[in-house]
Amino acid sequence: MSRASLLRHAALVAICLVVALPIFWLLRTSLVPPELSYDPRIWPEFSTENYRTLFAGNGFGRNYLNSIIVALGSVLLATPLAALTGYAFARFRTGGKAARFAVLATQMLPPVALALPTFMIYRELGLTNSLTGLVIVYAVVNLPFLTWILMGFFEGIPADLEEAAITDGATNWQAFLLVVLPVARPGIAAAVVLGFILAWNEFLFALILSGPSTATVPVALAALQTSNGVEIGKVAAGVALAIVPLMVVSRFIQKYLVRGLSFGGVS
Amino acid sequence: MADIVMKGVSRDYGHGIYGVRDADLEIRDGEFMCFLGPSGCGKSTTLRMIAGLEDITSGSLSIGGRDMTHTRPRDRNIAVVFQTYALYPHMSVRDNIGFGMKMRGVGRRERDARIVAAADKLGLTKYLDRKPAALSGGQRQRVALGRAMVREPDVFLMDEPLSNLDATLRAEMRLELVRLHREHGKTTVFVTHDQVEAMTMGDRICILRDGHIMQVGRPLEVYDNPVNIFVARFLSSPPMNILPATLAEGRINTEIASFDLAAAQKQAYAAARNRPLTLGVRAEDFYAEPGIGRVAVRGRLQVIEALGAENILFLDIEGQQIAARVDRRFLPETGADVVLHLDTAAIHLFDAETETAFARPDPESLRA
Ligand SMILES: Nc1ncnc2c1ncn2[C@@H]1O[C@H](COP(=O)(O)OP(=O)(O)O)[C@@H](O)[C@H]1O
Ligand SMILES: [Mg+2]
Repeated sequence: MSRASLLRHAALVAICLVVALPIFWLLRTSLVPPELSYDPRIWPEFSTENYRTLFAGNGFGRNYLNSIIVALGSVLLATPLAALTGYAFARFRTGGKAARFAVLATQMLPPVALALPTFMIYRELGLTNSLTGLVIVYAVVNLPFLTWILMGFFEGIPADLEEAAITDGATNWQAFLLVVLPVARPGIAAAVVLGFILAWNEFLFALILSGPSTATVPVALAALQTSNGVEIGKVAAGVALAIVPLMVVSRFIQKYLVRGLSFGGVS
Repeated sequence: MADIVMKGVSRDYGHGIYGVRDADLEIRDGEFMCFLGPSGCGKSTTLRMIAGLEDITSGSLSIGGRDMTHTRPRDRNIAVVFQTYALYPHMSVRDNIGFGMKMRGVGRRERDARIVAAADKLGLTKYLDRKPAALSGGQRQRVALGRAMVREPDVFLMDEPLSNLDATLRAEMRLELVRLHREHGKTTVFVTHDQVEAMTMGDRICILRDGHIMQVGRPLEVYDNPVNIFVARFLSSPPMNILPATLAEGRINTEIASFDLAAAQKQAYAAARNRPLTLGVRAEDFYAEPGIGRVAVRGRLQVIEALGAENILFLDIEGQQIAARVDRRFLPETGADVVLHLDTAAIHLFDAETETAFARPDPESLRA
């Protein structure tokens, strides 16, 4: 190995350590007995106690399931709507730049500004403390962002394709479903993943709108910061588990995600 | 019967921009019609209006005697071959070719049979299960053709289908398209900016400029009798030479030569007397040797393009830039003084202001 490449590798290893160290420490903290959480030794003793008490004592399983339902549900609700809206923006006369900007502008509102009115509406509708309520609000909040992503994607697909389908005898719907959507699959996959991650990580709406039985993972983890101090071992265990679906999802879909976000089209 | 009749057809894009304006055109049943013109002249717009992919903002269009001005594309029974081929990238060649039949509810059995027959005709049998990405440009082109043919439409619309192929393949496909047309005999509209394609393939050609139809006619007819300078220059390569000229007492005077007209020419060009004219001479109407009806011109050779079969000379004659196409054996040095002989029977005369042509005399009367 040459000197230069040795240096390069040393630098890369250093960067990797910086990135990996917090995650390693997280795992380490979650897998030692709670009383040794702050112990300076690297791994004084192995224990799964944090995980066991998190599930048995705090009912973390329920929270985890809630998060999965809410994240999946909202993304399944929002993506088809975003695909239709994004397609309309990309292909038809739909209010031009102003309308597009309006879509993006909704993302500039601080979430708090929406959270309280939503809470009041939900109280009237009886949707507080319900998973349905969370699914709906996440779908709504993520819709503009997903629309924006998919719009860029549809714009990258040559209009020739739909025109070919239409002259081939397809209706507009058939052209969309049989030609445009399959071609846009990488973009849809990217949108699904991003929508899932956004919903999975969301805290504010979940805190305000959920109740004891419908709390999601971020809410449950926040609740571990009690008046008796932070239960850091359990927090570490919960965070470690919260990372798992994100890793699975992005690993599984990495090639789509990269293609989806970088090319935005077919060539 | 699938003739196409356009009456006063325009495509207004707003803000005073027209893709096509007031186009009147009749395309006969079974005819191979070429739309020819430079980029941006409205060829694609016109084709797309026939296809129904572009709104007709005024005027009317009928196909096969039925008004189709506002008919949806899928109800026109036309097939389009796009410049980019527009193959469905996620489908196999088989599914690409079969898509149209599927949409029109053709049964699976018949669909398969027709796909196989079309693939056979186009040499695609081996590739039926491949995706378009795994095909060469020429093969993709054939799939696009197959997709159009297999539906047995009334009309084929092709937008520069050969422009993405290399020269050899393009020449091959030119012949093949003509052969296929002879077989199926369907009305075909073929868009191109290449005059060779238009001249060799079209039963008739339609020349457009800036959204207006300039001239429609059989290729040689248009070549011999262009209605204006634009058509004359666009149809020849190198473009027709043009020079300021006058006509007085039966004699044409230009910077490069003066010569007497033949009797038939004098008669035909009576209206051109004593006004500013533009003389048009095609490159091939210069000769290395003198001959009857030829007048000598003398100039300095600036560039020579030896093409093998012939030479193209670019000369400076009395300050005028002249291109001449001569026999391959005539190969003077660059910078040399060269004498060429202009065939005075082959000239074209245009009004210098309106650029429209004066009708030429009947070629028979010139030979006499
Ligand atoms: N959507 C559009 N909006 C405005 N102008 C257009 C549009 N599409 C085409 N044009 C204009 O119409 C003219 C004809 O275009 P086109 O038919 O594509 O030309 P071509 O002969 O190269 O196929 C061009 O000047 C082009 O700029
Ligand atoms: Mg074009």
